[in-house]
Amino acid sequence: MSKEPNSIGKSVMELPANIVRSVFRNPLPSSDRGRAATSFTNFFLHIQPVRVSRQALRPSYTMGLGLISFFLFVILTATGVLLMFYYVPSTTQAYERMLDLRSSVAFGVILRNMHRWAAHGMVACVFLHMCRVFFTGSYKPPREFNWVIGVCLFGLTLLSSFTGYLLPWDQLAFWAITVGTSIAGYAPFVGKAIKFILLGDATVGQEALLRFYVLHVVVLPLILTIFVAVHFWRIRKDGGLAKPEAEAAPKRIPVEVEIQEEPAPVMATASAAIVAPARRFTIQGLVRGPLVKVGKLEEDTVFSWPNLLVAELFVLLLTIAGVMLVSFFFNAPLEQPVNVMHPPNPAKAPWYFLGLQEQVSYSAFWGGIGVPGIEVLLLLLIPYIDRGREGVGRWFARQRILANSVFLLFVLVNIYLIVIGTFFRGANWQFVSPF
Amino acid sequence: MAVAATETKSTEPEIGRRRFLGWLSGVGIAGSAVLGSLATFFFIRPRTTYGQPNRFKIGRPEEFPPGSRIAIDPKRVCIVREGNKVAAISTTCTHLGCIVSPSATGFQCPCHGSRFDVDGNVTGGPAPKALAWYAVSLTPSGELEVDKDSEIQTGTYLSV
Repeated sequence: MSKEPNSIGKSVMELPANIVRSVFRNPLPSSDRGRAATSFTNFFLHIQPVRVSRQALRPSYTMGLGLISFFLFVILTATGVLLMFYYVPSTTQAYERMLDLRSSVAFGVILRNMHRWAAHGMVACVFLHMCRVFFTGSYKPPREFNWVIGVCLFGLTLLSSFTGYLLPWDQLAFWAITVGTSIAGYAPFVGKAIKFILLGDATVGQEALLRFYVLHVVVLPLILTIFVAVHFWRIRKDGGLAKPEAEAAPKRIPVEVEIQEEPAPVMATASAAIVAPARRFTIQGLVRGPLVKVGKLEEDTVFSWPNLLVAELFVLLLTIAGVMLVSFFFNAPLEQPVNVMHPPNPAKAPWYFLGLQEQVSYSAFWGGIGVPGIEVLLLLLIPYIDRGREGVGRWFARQRILANSVFLLFVLVNIYLIVIGTFFRGANWQFVSPF
Repeated sequence: MAVAATETKSTEPEIGRRRFLGWLSGVGIAGSAVLGSLATFFFIRPRTTYGQPNRFKIGRPEEFPPGSRIAIDPKRVCIVREGNKVAAISTTCTHLGCIVSPSATGFQCPCHGSRFDVDGNVTGGPAPKALAWYAVSLTPSGELEVDKDSEIQTGTYLSV
C-alpha cells in the first residue's frame, strides 16, 4: 500500500517475497496468535486443532499407533502407485512382472518390499491401535460411532491385504484366492452369488485376477480414504482424543477468547477474520459436549504448532525408517508360479490370516463365516453394549476390569490361533512341533 | 457480525411447493441410488464367462479301460470306469476348493487333510459333504462328454 507509483523494478525486487506470501498466508509464527493462525489458515494444518491436550501428545498414551497406521497407508499409496507402472493384471504376465521388478526395474525390489512390509505393518498397527482404543476406554460416548468406523477400517485393511497378495499370481495367490472365495461361498443364501461375482467365472482365473486388481488399486483405497477422512474429522468434532473425566469437564458456551494484541503487519492484510489484530472474536454456533475447553487452556493443552506437528513428523520419520530398514534386509515373499494342479502343502496364508485358516480347518462355515461374523458384530456393538462412563482416557482403568479382561481374552485367543497356524501346522495341516 | 439465527420469513404457498420439491428430490435421488445399485450388481455379474467351459468332451470310452480311475486335473474331474459303467467325480474338495488326488482308499486333499472313499463320500477331515458326481453322456460322435453344471446322485453311472 505504498504511495509511490508502481514500477516494474520494484515488482521484480519484491517478487520472491510476494510469491512466498501468497502461498503461505502466515509467516513462521513467533507469537501465540501466529501459532493459532497458522493452524487455522493452512489447508493441511487446519485438520488439526489449534491447541492439543498434553495427554494426546504423550507417547505412552497413544503409542502413535493410529498415526503410524495412517502413515503406512500413505507409504502404501505412494509405493503402490509406482508399482502400478510396471504391473500387468494378466495371468500370463503378472508373475513375470514380479521377476522383472527383481531383475530389470531400478529400485523394483525395494519398492515391492516396502509395499509388502508396510501392508503387514498396517494390519498389525491398525489392530494394535484398536487394542489401545479399547484398553483406554476411548470408545465411550461421544466416540461410539468413531469406534464403528475404526472397526470398518480394520476390515478394509484386511481386505486390501488379501486382494493385494493375490496380484503376483504365484502359488500363494492362486490357492489363497481359491480358499478365500470358497469361504465366501459358505455364507448363507448369498454365498454362491458372492463367490461368482468375486471370481467373475466358475473357476479361479483371469477374470478373478482382474477383479481383485480393480478392488485393490481403486475400490478399496477409495473407500478406505473416505473412512479415514471421516475417522479423523470425528476425532476433531468429539474434542480430540479421549481424556480422563476430570479433564474433560464440559464448558458451556458462550465463549469469548481474547487474543493478546501484537503487531503483525503481514497478517493484517490477510482476509481471514481471525488474524485481524486487536479483535475480539466469538466462537460462533453452539457445540455440545467437551468440545470447547476455554479457561483451562494453559494448564493442560499446548499449541499444535509446533508441538503436535513435530510429534507427527517424528512419527512419520520413524515409520519411513522402519519400513525402509525392514525392506533393505528382508525380501517380500514370492512363491513358485501358479500350478493349478498342485496346491503347495501346506498352503499357508500370511500370518494375519493363519488364525482364520486354523479355524477353517475345523469347520469351513463356523471357522470362516460363523465365528468371524459374530466377532465382527460384537466388535461393532461394543460401544453400545458397554455404556459405563468410567475409566475413560486411562490405560487399564480399574473400573473397566471386566471389559478389559474380556477384550484381552479375545486378543489372546486370536494370537494363540495365529501362533498355532504359523508354527505348529505342517503338511496336510497336521500338528507338528517347530522345535 | 455474529451469525444470529435469523428465521427466513416465508409465505404460505411457497412452503407447499418447497416441501413437494424436497419430497420429489428425495424420492428421485433414493430411487436413482436403488436403481444404480441394482444396475451395478447386474453389470459386475458376468453373463458370459471366458474361462473353461463347464461342458467338455474327454475322449472315447475305450481310452478309459475298465477298472481305471483317471484324474483329469485341468478339468478337475476324475473319470471312473467299472466294467462298462462310466462316471465323472469332481476332484475339487468340498471344503475349500483345493484339488484332491486319487489315493488307494479314494481321494485325499493336501490343503486341510480331508479324505474321501472311492465314491467320494467323506471319510475324514473337515470336508462337509461328498465329492460331486457330474452327468456323463455319449455324444453322437461316440465321445464321452462331462457336464459340470449338472450334478447327479452319487453312484449314478453311464453304461457304454
